[in-house]
Order: sequence, then C-alpha cells, then structure tokens
Amino acid sequence: MKFTLPPKMSLRSLAVVGLASLALALGACGGPVGGGGKGAEQSQAASQEQSAGPATSGTVKWWGWTPTDTATANGYIAAFNKEYPNIKVNFKLVSIPDWQAALTPALRSESGPDVFDMQPGSYVTKYGSFAQDMTPVITKALGEDWQSKVAPAGVSGLTDKHGKLTALSVGAVYSGTLWINKGLFDKHNLKPPTTLDEWEKVCQEFKKASQGCFVQGAAGAGFDQDTLQAIANSVEPGFWTKASKGDAKWNEPAMVKTLDIWKQLFSRGIMQEGAIGYQQYPDANNDFLTGKYAMVMMGTWYTQYSTEKAMTAALKAAGVSGAKPFPILPIQFPNVGGNTSEMFGDADYGLSISTKAKDKAAAEAFVTWLTTSQAGQQAVADQLNDVPALKGIEPNFEEINFVDPATQEAPVKDLLAKVAPVTQPRFALLNQDVQDAIFQAAQSTATGKATPEEAANTLQEAAAAAQ
Amino acid sequence: MFEIRTRWGRILLQVVVTLLVLPFLFPLVAMVQGSLAGDGWANYEAVLAVPGLWRFFLNTVVIAAGVIVLVYIVTMLAAYGFGKLRIRGREVYFWMLLACLTLPEVVLLTPLFTTAQAFGFFDTYWAVILPIAALQVPFAVLLARNFVQGIPDELFEAARVDGGSVINGFRHLVIPLTRPIAAAILIFTLIGAWNNYLFPLVFLQSPEMQTITLVPQFFVGQFSNDQTKILASAVIIAIPEIIAYLCLQRYFERGLAAGAIK
Amino acid sequence: MAGTSIAERGLREKPAPAAGGGRRSRRLQPQGLHWILPALVLSVGLIYYCIWYTAVISTWDWDGIDPNPERVGAENYIRIAQDPIFWKTIQHTIVFFVVTFVLQTALGLIFAVLLHSKVKLAVVYKVIIFIPVVLAPAITAPVFRQIYAPDGQFNSVLEFFGLGFLAQPWLGQESTALAVIMAVTVWQWTGLTFVLYFAAMGQIDQSLLEAARIDGAGNFRTLIHIIWPGVRGTTLALAILSAIGALKTFDIPYLITVGGPNYATEFLGTYIYRKTIPQSHVGYGAALSIILLVLALVMALILQVRGGEKRVVR
Repeated sequence: MKFTLPPKMSLRSLAVVGLASLALALGACGGPVGGGGKGAEQSQAASQEQSAGPATSGTVKWWGWTPTDTATANGYIAAFNKEYPNIKVNFKLVSIPDWQAALTPALRSESGPDVFDMQPGSYVTKYGSFAQDMTPVITKALGEDWQSKVAPAGVSGLTDKHGKLTALSVGAVYSGTLWINKGLFDKHNLKPPTTLDEWEKVCQEFKKASQGCFVQGAAGAGFDQDTLQAIANSVEPGFWTKASKGDAKWNEPAMVKTLDIWKQLFSRGIMQEGAIGYQQYPDANNDFLTGKYAMVMMGTWYTQYSTEKAMTAALKAAGVSGAKPFPILPIQFPNVGGNTSEMFGDADYGLSISTKAKDKAAAEAFVTWLTTSQAGQQAVADQLNDVPALKGIEPNFEEINFVDPATQEAPVKDLLAKVAPVTQPRFALLNQDVQDAIFQAAQSTATGKATPEEAANTLQEAAAAAQ
Repeated sequence: MFEIRTRWGRILLQVVVTLLVLPFLFPLVAMVQGSLAGDGWANYEAVLAVPGLWRFFLNTVVIAAGVIVLVYIVTMLAAYGFGKLRIRGREVYFWMLLACLTLPEVVLLTPLFTTAQAFGFFDTYWAVILPIAALQVPFAVLLARNFVQGIPDELFEAARVDGGSVINGFRHLVIPLTRPIAAAILIFTLIGAWNNYLFPLVFLQSPEMQTITLVPQFFVGQFSNDQTKILASAVIIAIPEIIAYLCLQRYFERGLAAGAIK
Repeated sequence: MAGTSIAERGLREKPAPAAGGGRRSRRLQPQGLHWILPALVLSVGLIYYCIWYTAVISTWDWDGIDPNPERVGAENYIRIAQDPIFWKTIQHTIVFFVVTFVLQTALGLIFAVLLHSKVKLAVVYKVIIFIPVVLAPAITAPVFRQIYAPDGQFNSVLEFFGLGFLAQPWLGQESTALAVIMAVTVWQWTGLTFVLYFAAMGQIDQSLLEAARIDGAGNFRTLIHIIWPGVRGTTLALAILSAIGALKTFDIPYLITVGGPNYATEFLGTYIYRKTIPQSHVGYGAALSIILLVLALVMALILQVRGGEKRVVR
C-alpha cells in the first residue's frame, strides 16, 4: 500500500465533500421549507374528496401524547379490533413536552403518523395544514345532523380559521373545580369554602392543626391559567372569553381585580409556601393524594382518581404503600369575585388524519370508531379521564368502584351533568405567546415583582403584540 | 499524589474525602429511596416487565457501540493530526470543529431531519449514530489532542530516527499512551449515546427501533406521574453505565501504573 | 470509512527531501491534514449544514411549518438586542459559568488528588462522585424539587444542624433559585472533571514529584506548584467546555424551575428552547442560536489565548 496522494488533493477533497453534502441535502428537500407546502396543497385536494370507502384491513400508525398510558391506548385498540379484526393500529406515545419537537419533522416526512392527536388552540393553527378535513368523515358516520349529536365544545375548538374541521374530538376536559379530601375537612370540623374569606379561614384552621390546606404547582403555566380563568369568571363572567378573542383588553379592571385576588391567594396564606417553585405533576398531585394537603385545583380529568383502583395505584405511585385510599370530591370554585364561577373547557384531544396517510380508509375506520361509535365512546367514558364527545354516553357506573360511593357518586354525576352544556373555551382561543404572557403576569404578581395593574398592562402589551 | 506519613494524617484524609463526598451521596440516596417507595421492589419488576424492554436495551447497545467505535477512530486520528502533525491552518480547522459543539440539540432537529431524509437513513440506526457521533467528536478531540500534546516530542523523534513511519508512530505510541484519556472518552461517549433521548425519539419511527431512554416515558402521563417507577427505571438504565465506568476505571489505573513515560 | 483511509494514505511522511528545503523542523513534522479529515467530514459535514440552515432561518419570522415564511432580514437580531430577557440570560450565564467552573474544577481536582493517594475504599468514592454524571436530568429534576421544597430534605438537614433559620423556599424565590441550579449542576458534573483530572495526573512526571518531596515540599506546595501547572491543558479544555456548556445549558434549569420564577433561572439554552418549540418562533430561536455560537467561539478563543500563553505549539 504505497501509493501517495498529491498534497493538494486533501484540501480539495475536503471542499468537495463539504459542498457535496450541502448540495445533496439542499437538492433533496428544496431548502428549509419543504413538506409543509406540499401538505397544504394536498389537504386542499383532500377536502374536496369524499371520505374513502369502508375498510376491512390495513395498518394505521397512531401518534399521541394521550392516552398517557400505552395500556389504555392498547385497550381501545383491542376493543376496536373486536369490530375490525384486520386493521392493525400501532400507538406511539410521545409525551407532551416532546410532542412538538417530534411531530413537526415527522409530519414533514413521508414516514410520519397516519393518525395523530390534535389539541385545540395553537396546535390547530400549526398542524392544521397537515390534517385532512374531517367533515365528510363525521357526516358519513353520524349523518347530516351530526352537529347535534356531539358536544359543541369539541367541534369549535378543533376547527381552524378557514372553517376546516381538523380533527374529531375524542373527549373533553373541563376545569374550574376544586377537589377536596372530605375526610380531612370532617376530621377538623370544617366545611368546604364558598368565598374567599371562608377559604382564608379554612386554611388558617388547617394551619393551626399542622395540616396543609391548598396545594398548587404554580410553576406550571397551564394550571395557573386555569386558576386565573376561574377567578375571572367569578369577577366578571364572560370577560375571559372576550379578552381571549381580542374584544376586551387584558388590562381592564376585571383583569386587574383578577390578578389582585390571585395575589391574595398568596398573601392570605391560601397557596402553600413555595408554590411558585412547585410543579403540579408530580409534586402537588402526590402531596394531595397522600393527604398532606386537603384541597387541590384540578379539572374533570381528576375524576379518574375517585375510583378505588386508580386511587390505590396513585398512592403507590406517590411512594406510599399500604395507605388507605380516601374519597375525593369535586366542589365548585369559591365565589371569590362576586359571581358564581362557571366552568370552562374544550376538547382534551381529537384525532386527525394526516394528509399523507398511507391507508386512509383504515385510518378513517379507526378514528370514526373511537370518536363517534357507541362502543368507542363508552370505552373513553369509562376511563373517567375525558368526558365523551358523543352526547348521551355516560360512564358505566355499575362497573365503577368508587372509594366511597355514598359520598362520591352523587357529586361526580352532578359534575358530569354540569359540564355537558359548557361552551366557554379553555385553550382553544389562545395562542402560545398569550398563554406565556398570562403565566408571566401570574408569576410576577405572586412574587410581588409587579402590582396587579402593572402585570395586567404588561400582559395587554404582550397580547397585542402577539396578534 | 499526596504522601501521608502519619496515621493521623491518613485518618484526616479519609475524613475529608468522606465529608466532601456526602453532598453527592445524599440525592442518590433520596432517589433510591424514592424508587423503592410505594410498591417497593415491585417497581423494578414493573419496569422490567415493560413490553419490549430487552429490544430497547439491544437497540441502545447497538447505537452506543456504533457511536463509540466511530468516535474513537475518528478522534484518535484527529488528535494525532492536531496534536503532533503539521497542518496548514490547523487552528482554523480546530475552531471549526469546536463550533459544532455550540448548537443546542433542539436547534439541530429539523436540519438533521432533512439531512437524514436526503441521505435516506431515516429510521435506521445511522440516523442516530451519526448525529450523536458528530456531536461527541469535537469534545473528544479537544480532550485527546490535549493529551497527545502532553506526550513528549522526543519519543516521536526517537521513533522516527529508528526508521518508523507516521503510521507506526500512531500505532505504537499514540494508541498505547493515550489509554487513560481514551478510557475517559469512551466512558463519556457511552453516556452521551446511552442517555440520548431526543434523537432516537425523532429519528427512529418503528417501535422495534426505540431505545431504552424511552422507558421512563411509559410512566409519565399528561395527568399522572409515577415517580417511583420512573426512578426505578433510572436506576436500571444507569447500571450498565456504572459497570462500564468501573471496568474502565481499572483500565485507567493499569494504564497509568504501566508508567507510560518510560 | 476510516479503515480504507489509512490504507490509502500509506506512507504520507515528510515531504520529499527535494521539496521541503533544508529546515529541520519541517522534516520532523509530517503532514497531518488527512488525519483530521474523518473528524471534519463527520462533524463539520453533518453539523455545518445545520449551522447554515439555522443562519438562514434566523432571518425569517417562521413557525417551523408554514410554507410561506416571512423574510425579515436582521429584524430578529435587532429585537434580541432590545430584549430584556435576553440580557438577563447573558447575565445568568456569566454568573453560572464562573461559579460552576470554579467549583467543579476545584472539587474535581481535589478529589482526583485525594483519590490518587492512599485512601481506603477509593472505589466507592469514585463511583459515588461519578453516578450523577450518568443520571438523566429528566429523572433527577423532580427529586431535587422535592429536596429543595420548603418542607424538603435540604431544609430538614439545615434544621438538624441548628441552621433552621436559613430554611426558605429555595425554588420559590428569585434570589435563591439560581443558586440551586448551580448547586445541582456542580453535583452532576464534578464527576466529569474528576475523571479528566484523574487521567491527566497520570501524565505528570513522577520524577518531578519525587524531586519536590526530597526537597521537603509539603503536600499543599506540591499541589500548587507541580500538580496544578501539570494539568493545565485539562483545565483549559474544561474551561472551554464549561463556557460552551454554560451557554447551552438547558436540562437542569428547564426541568427544575422552568426558567423561573420570573426568568430568574432563564439561560440562553432554555430561552432558545422556549422560543423554538412551545412558542414556535423558530426564526427568533435560530437567531439566538447563532448568537450563542458566536459567543461560544469568542469565549473559547479568549480562554485559549489567555490560558495558552505558556503552551508552545510543538
């Protein structure tokens, strides 16, 4: 092996390789902007098609951040396979923090998912162009009057600004409730609070007995937003939605009062110490479930913990073994601002079919089954996590074992009935920048860095800039 | 390094080291405690029962091995080049290499993705091995070049006088003498490849290709978070890396004790 | 790839005597370009496309998916210069770099020295220091949140030692959150500096140490005058890596405090992530990344020049 290379060759070869890799990469994808454009064209073509015909076999790649438990997803798939034994569905769990990082390149490639989860709000704007229009699909499944058969909250949130229905809602979650550990209240002879003053007093009493009162992971943007929205609903019903749409300003007196009450949660000792550094999951959740605190703000998704099985599992997950599960109860958010605080919510998630889906018919069969069929929606309802999109489906209470049916069954059924007509959206109207600004306003008032007025002004500026 | 002659000195030394190490130990204890809370050892059973775990493990091993081999070869060649050989504009190339270290992973995702598609290795081991290796190389070269420069020139000159070629210099001097740093590089490359989460997530689509770093995700939900099992899976994932470290530690010391500078 | 190259290259020795003139040094310093070629092709080839790509989109106002991005030229950079959060991140990065570098280096060196000496059960110590390096921050973050919670173990330990008055909500205050992040970082990465110093110490000439001891130098003197200069190269490399790491740092501050409270623990790395992924301001994030790249290279250059004064390029 004695051949030598002329010295200049090396430098040239370096340049050649460098340029080659550049050129290849460029040429193959047409520069940084690739798939999205093709996706948009395809989706326009697709919306003019009728939905594909009935399917009896095929493979479907389903990506989602939820169901957050692969076992649950596989449970749905197994039930689906009872009706469609020859359609294989493969679920890939991508948790929500990684969702956008993973989905964006995948949708732009040719090997992305066939079916993917869709959340109302910024995701619809961002990924809508990769989703097929679902109107023909749902019309085929439920008929021309399909709109009357499904919860309204699930439809508007998933429709993009061009009127395209980008996904079919699987179920909704609603917020604006508190969940309490009734046993602790009884033990200390206290009643759940219904006003801000009562709330403060209850917390004082608990504190005297060295019992935690209310816990929140105030480092989490979404949960702080829920609390603010609940307070705003009590201060001036309807304001939040108006401000979200841009019909009202975020620094109006209603919002300033909302931020002031939020701040009082901290100054009056209702929020636990160090709340700003706490996460809702797992920190606050574990604290509430292990009885360290008596109250927590969670939404309808928390209903899943009211069963004996889920509670025991959650207790073990919180690191406590052998603890007795206790009944959790939902209560209305206290009237902190003068009015009853209405609940709010939108679709937890919907299923979109990618415009690049290989097996459209099979994908449609699966999506239709989970979102519009009795069997599919019943499976969803029984998880007690989402409220099913299809009207008239209730969780099968015969099979659900509450920890203490006597105290829990009525309030839970009440809650589910209450949310059915709710139309006030939760995430659907907000884009990421505004949500971020809301969170900043919450944090700065809670730490005292800004007065409620200053924070509201900053929020309004940010929201206006984000339009 | 330190010479301690008195018994009291030795005891003092032991105490000092112990005190210094305690803050490191403390969170580890908290973690193991956490992994045993709730279900206790059943947590570990649950993690081991995750479907496809052994497949994930295998994938991680393949990827880690690929990265290590690639990085080692490329780094040693480059370290020799940068450390001992003459290259016009050497520092410029070195800085070019260093620049690769500076981009955060998240920013690399989309362009790497386009590259992977263009070259057609999407959803293969290469889609993960190449980016990880590319990111580890500058770090490894930085360390190795340093080490190579620490080898006295006289040795190389002596070898050349004896009629050896550049390649022989490489084989018989650089490789054996850089064993300690090579061990260090190996361990850090292993960790970088073993723990890498983002690249396998984005570039490996098929379920059979997933890596072991995905396992904790099985226990994290949108509205739930099973800390006990996550910690148990962390312990399980960490064990092979610690074993590798222990083996390499011994290799280190043997290399050092061999009195390289002879 | 590498295998064929070695064969191909063959005896790429000194330039043929006719070409190279008579200079001694030239004869003894063979050509090295093709040795570094594989490294350059792999890293530069793969990553430079990414750098170019990032530079291009840094002039766009883009969400990462829209087929029609808006081209805004240098506007992103101008906005960054006026962005108070950006300047905060720079401030935090500097503090973070100085503190963590000093602590990690000091601890790593001390451990390396101590564990090179005759200590019982050295293996145990080595493993304990090293395990944090191996653990993914995604998993350790909740544990640390628990430890530093107002009712967490850290405060309990303080109380145990009678320092209960120092107990506070470490993560809930802007003043202390950064300190926690730095502490966790030192915990995680001291193992790295330790391993590297341990390896580097093997290169220190034993005869020097013995000579010093014969001269009656104490352990401390030996440390300062022989060991410390002897590992200078490693220290410099670590300084560069720390600087780049400080600029890029993401995992620990994002997972423990999410950059809060009120951006008290926001770093360039977390800010870039925040802008790129959840907020989908990919162009802005790209501009920040380019700035990061420039800052990193400048820092590394400064460190190299200042630290390498005594290093003769042999």
